[in-house]
Amino acid sequence: MNNPIIRTEKLSKIYDSGFRTVALQDVDLQIPKGSLSCIMGPSGHGKSTLLHLIGGLDRPTSGKVFLDDMELTSVDGNRLAEIRSRKIGFVFQFFNLLPVLTALENVQVAMMLAGIGKKEQEERATELLNLVGLEDKLQSKPNQLSGGQRQRVAIARALANDPEILLMDEPSGNLDSRSEEELLEQIAKVNGQGKTVVIVTHSETVAAMAKETFCIRDGELAVD
Amino acid sequence: MNHFKLTWKNIVRRKSRFFFTISAIAVGIASLVTLLSLGSGLETEIRKQADVLGANLVVTPRGWCAYEQISVLTGETLPEAIPNADVKKIAALEGLTAFPYLTQRTALKNQPVPLLGILPAEMKQFKGWQVGQGRYLLDDANVVIGSGIARQFELKSGDQLTVRGQEFSISGVLQEVGNSDDLAIYMELATVQQLYAVGDKVSFIAVKVDDITRIDQYILDIQNVANVAVTSDKQLLKSVLAIVGSVGSALQLIAAVAILAAFFGIVNTMMTAIYERRREIGILQAIGSKKRTIFSLFLYESAFYGLLGGIVGVVVGFVFSYFAAPYIGQNEFTAFLGSEQSVQLFSAGITLKALLFSILVSALAGVYPARQACKLSPVEAISYE
Ligand SMILES: Nc1ncnc2c1ncn2[C@@H]1O[C@H](COP(=O)(O)OP(=O)(O)O)[C@@H](O)[C@H]1O
Ligand SMILES: [Mg+2]
Repeated sequence: MNNPIIRTEKLSKIYDSGFRTVALQDVDLQIPKGSLSCIMGPSGHGKSTLLHLIGGLDRPTSGKVFLDDMELTSVDGNRLAEIRSRKIGFVFQFFNLLPVLTALENVQVAMMLAGIGKKEQEERATELLNLVGLEDKLQSKPNQLSGGQRQRVAIARALANDPEILLMDEPSGNLDSRSEEELLEQIAKVNGQGKTVVIVTHSETVAAMAKETFCIRDGELAVD
Repeated sequence: MNHFKLTWKNIVRRKSRFFFTISAIAVGIASLVTLLSLGSGLETEIRKQADVLGANLVVTPRGWCAYEQISVLTGETLPEAIPNADVKKIAALEGLTAFPYLTQRTALKNQPVPLLGILPAEMKQFKGWQVGQGRYLLDDANVVIGSGIARQFELKSGDQLTVRGQEFSISGVLQEVGNSDDLAIYMELATVQQLYAVGDKVSFIAVKVDDITRIDQYILDIQNVANVAVTSDKQLLKSVLAIVGSVGSALQLIAAVAILAAFFGIVNTMMTAIYERRREIGILQAIGSKKRTIFSLFLYESAFYGLLGGIVGVVVGFVFSYFAAPYIGQNEFTAFLGSEQSVQLFSAGITLKALLFSILVSALAGVYPARQACKLSPVEAISYE
């Protein structure tokens, strides 16, 4: 593991609203560039928390996150937003898409936030939706799409600004096995293009595809 | 995709909320536009009337309030208070001419009409009236009428009209002069005094001076011979405008309440929208939106409500003031608005002011909700199920 793109150092997150919850404790993690890794573990044990901290969506209570050699806790909110915009793509379990926008527009929004012009937005969003096999659904609203199709739009959007890292939180969590297979195909394709993919999952099928599996138990990284 | 398209799609997603919020703003702005357009017409009209009075000085009883002074210009009924003896003394002074008025009201076809008791020959010369039809004869059986009255009640010379149970014949109709002189019946002063049993008193006296530079001296002269108040036409205009201004402020208060209600309507709409869309806000942040972008998206949204509500309000306001003006003109305070032509159907200045105001107020209403929106933590918004 000579070239980690993601590295955490004693990463901890403690929620203290009413009562104390240690969601993550002293996690040291290294994820190599270009790998496909998955994070497993029981519900409520800190997997999402870890993913959010890696992606700069939340701030740790203590410890550090490095993306390449940039340390995220020392970066201000605006810069963090830029990192999320250009360097990272998120896909969540559900509710990824803005319901008032079409599939095409949902992908475009991510580019709009990165300051990309209208023409390029349209061309590239169409291309990305082609890539995930939704060329005939460009003008469909989320409520006209199946669960699997929605997740594929979310992947297209996550790829909008050509990020190096794709973070997915139970992306096939509420998909049937056929849709899951289609989704895995897309993920493999994306990883094949050199992007680093981190997937939180309960699915053995997904885990089987990963080169590396991390297990989170009670907020700590468990060694198998 | 751009910020405005996104804003628009979000605004129209809840049709009924969109409609009611727009309506609330529109009502507020419409009342503002109505006020501004009636108000500007009002002031123009007052200046016109004040000019038309044509006098340099107005002699009134002591202790009249400003409302009564307005009435000098509007032809409202006034208490008869200055005795003929004083009129004579003032008229006898060197270098000025006095024109006494006794203002009363009568009715034609159940509608109130001003009836003015005047000295026929003096007043005709003073005003420079021309007779449009018939002849100019005022005595104990004849009156003349203004052209507006003639048109409104379909009267012409030779017709009869009844005042306090007594028949008069209309000897003539004056040529149109374009102000409130067109809207009165003129009768010989002594006849009105008898008819209304007011003794030998008049309501007020208009005075024209020979040498305008000595106006202060004339005021002293008049007050030496009679116990009266004397105002110059300039002062009168000033106090009238002040009163109209205060009436205007009261009406503006009404508009302010309507706009305040709209303000809180927008706050409410935006707070609801943000609550409903908190996950979307989380998603936007996850895909790279800065807090400041979230803030401006919601601020655009509320300002957009202001723009749309403002446009609807401006249109409704102008249409309303156009149709309302003639009715409002029957109120004493706004009697100047006797004719529609004093109300503009459209004014670019008022439109611009009202739109800017509407956008500003709405944007302001959006500030607090927008701040709440950008304080939302993306993680909490996303984790919510
Ligand atoms: N915003 C929060 N406030 C308080 N506790 C939280 C919050 N988010 C997560 N937690 C707690 O942190 C722990 C880890 O949560 P999470 O990372 O979502 O687990 P997982 O994704 O593995 O199911 C849980 O016990 C959860 O209840
Ligand atoms: Mg989770």
